Amino acid sequence: MSHYAKPLARLVEELVKLPGIGPKTAQRLAFHIVGSSQESARSLAAAIVDVKEKIGYCSQCFNLTDVDPCWVCGDDSRDKTIICVVEEPTDIIALERTKEFKGHYHVLHGAISPLEGVGPGDLRIKELLLRLNEDIQEIIVATDPDVEGEATAMYLARLIKPLGYKVTRMAHGMPVGGDLEYVDEVTLSKALEWRREL
Amino acid sequence: MYRTEGIVLRTRNLGEADKIVTLYTKTNGKVVAVARGARRIRNRLLGPTQVFTQGRYLIFTGKTLDTLSQGEIVNSFQDLREDLDKMAATMYLSELVDVLIEPGEASLEIYSLLLNTLKMLSQKQINYALRVFELRFAKHLGYEPQLNNCINCNNFPEKAIYFSRQGGVVCDQCRSQLLPVQTISRGTWELAKRILAWDWSRISILHPSEQSLSELEACMRAFYDYRLDKPLQSLDFIHTLKEFSPPEVKN
Repeated sequence: MSHYAKPLARLVEELVKLPGIGPKTAQRLAFHIVGSSQESARSLAAAIVDVKEKIGYCSQCFNLTDVDPCWVCGDDSRDKTIICVVEEPTDIIALERTKEFKGHYHVLHGAISPLEGVGPGDLRIKELLLRLNEDIQEIIVATDPDVEGEATAMYLARLIKPLGYKVTRMAHGMPVGGDLEYVDEVTLSKALEWRREL
Repeated sequence: MYRTEGIVLRTRNLGEADKIVTLYTKTNGKVVAVARGARRIRNRLLGPTQVFTQGRYLIFTGKTLDTLSQGEIVNSFQDLREDLDKMAATMYLSELVDVLIEPGEASLEIYSLLLNTLKMLSQKQINYALRVFELRFAKHLGYEPQLNNCINCNNFPEKAIYFSRQGGVVCDQCRSQLLPVQTISRGTWELAKRILAWDWSRISILHPSEQSLSELEACMRAFYDYRLDKPLQSLDFIHTLKEFSPPEVKN
């Protein structure tokens, strides 16, 4: 980093710590910031500080939020009888983009991964159990369809079903706009298994 | 570059969309390779790099890590991912193979053992499959437990039989010198000997008693723990499932 002036070197060093940013990209971003106006540099710095100071977890669903309860939990027009359980806050963003789901969410902040030492106790499962009450009719488990996500889903079903709640799992199937020929065997057999009448 | 058949033992995420896949292969033993883009939903490697999948792979050798460039599923072992107990058991096998085998040592015997055990787990003989794997895996690694005579005095154990974590049976006289030991019944002793000596087709038709299986479980746990530097992570999860009782909910 000796080729840079000190403040510039510091900025490059900080940027390179970000995910997906290598030294070249960091350099490009740093030079862009140097070239930008005083005002936009301040606004970027303020936004970074702001996000650290204001963002926390919703006390109900554990989504990232600046108000508690978050905008989903605080919205009375949403369906309180359904909880959709996801691994990460980014999954909520993906689901919200569909505009199909109008219920509530619960973020586990991870998935059971025995080989990495992540057990049920490391996730927000207890908090989910505390949210269950007589108004709830369905728990949709929307964890990833990989081995950790499936383990988490089966664990939750084993935990919650005996309490008398309906527990459902997101369907596996063909990707929209895909070509059947290129779909892998497992997805294809799942799609056949989960087929429905037209 | 080489083509080989293998079983996916574990995967780890790398960067945005890649995976590091640990495989046990038929011809090259344990291989750690990067599967580029394998987390993207339409990637062709997505299916073949799911944990516990048996497949045929095309791997390019690299300086540090190999690259997994093509894959085709032979047996997806999907049912092992759809049952919590089977999944926990398979994870334990994967971890045992991963921690006890270094890359580059190929063994067709271990490959067949792994494959046969996965098939046995699919048929829901979970406890038995794990015990067979533990005993035969030890044998293929070169740590075969000595079961015919006492490991200390080499005499035939006439009265009670014990098992030492050092790898074999112990007689009544030597017991105090090799503590801690596990007491095993004559039936369990015979079962362990058969598991090691018989071929697979005969082993898979045996129906051992629950008591023998739980005695063997304790013996093999002590045996492997004695050889491992740190406890296996997957055991915690198996214990969690065993002690499973739905918690009471207070509203």
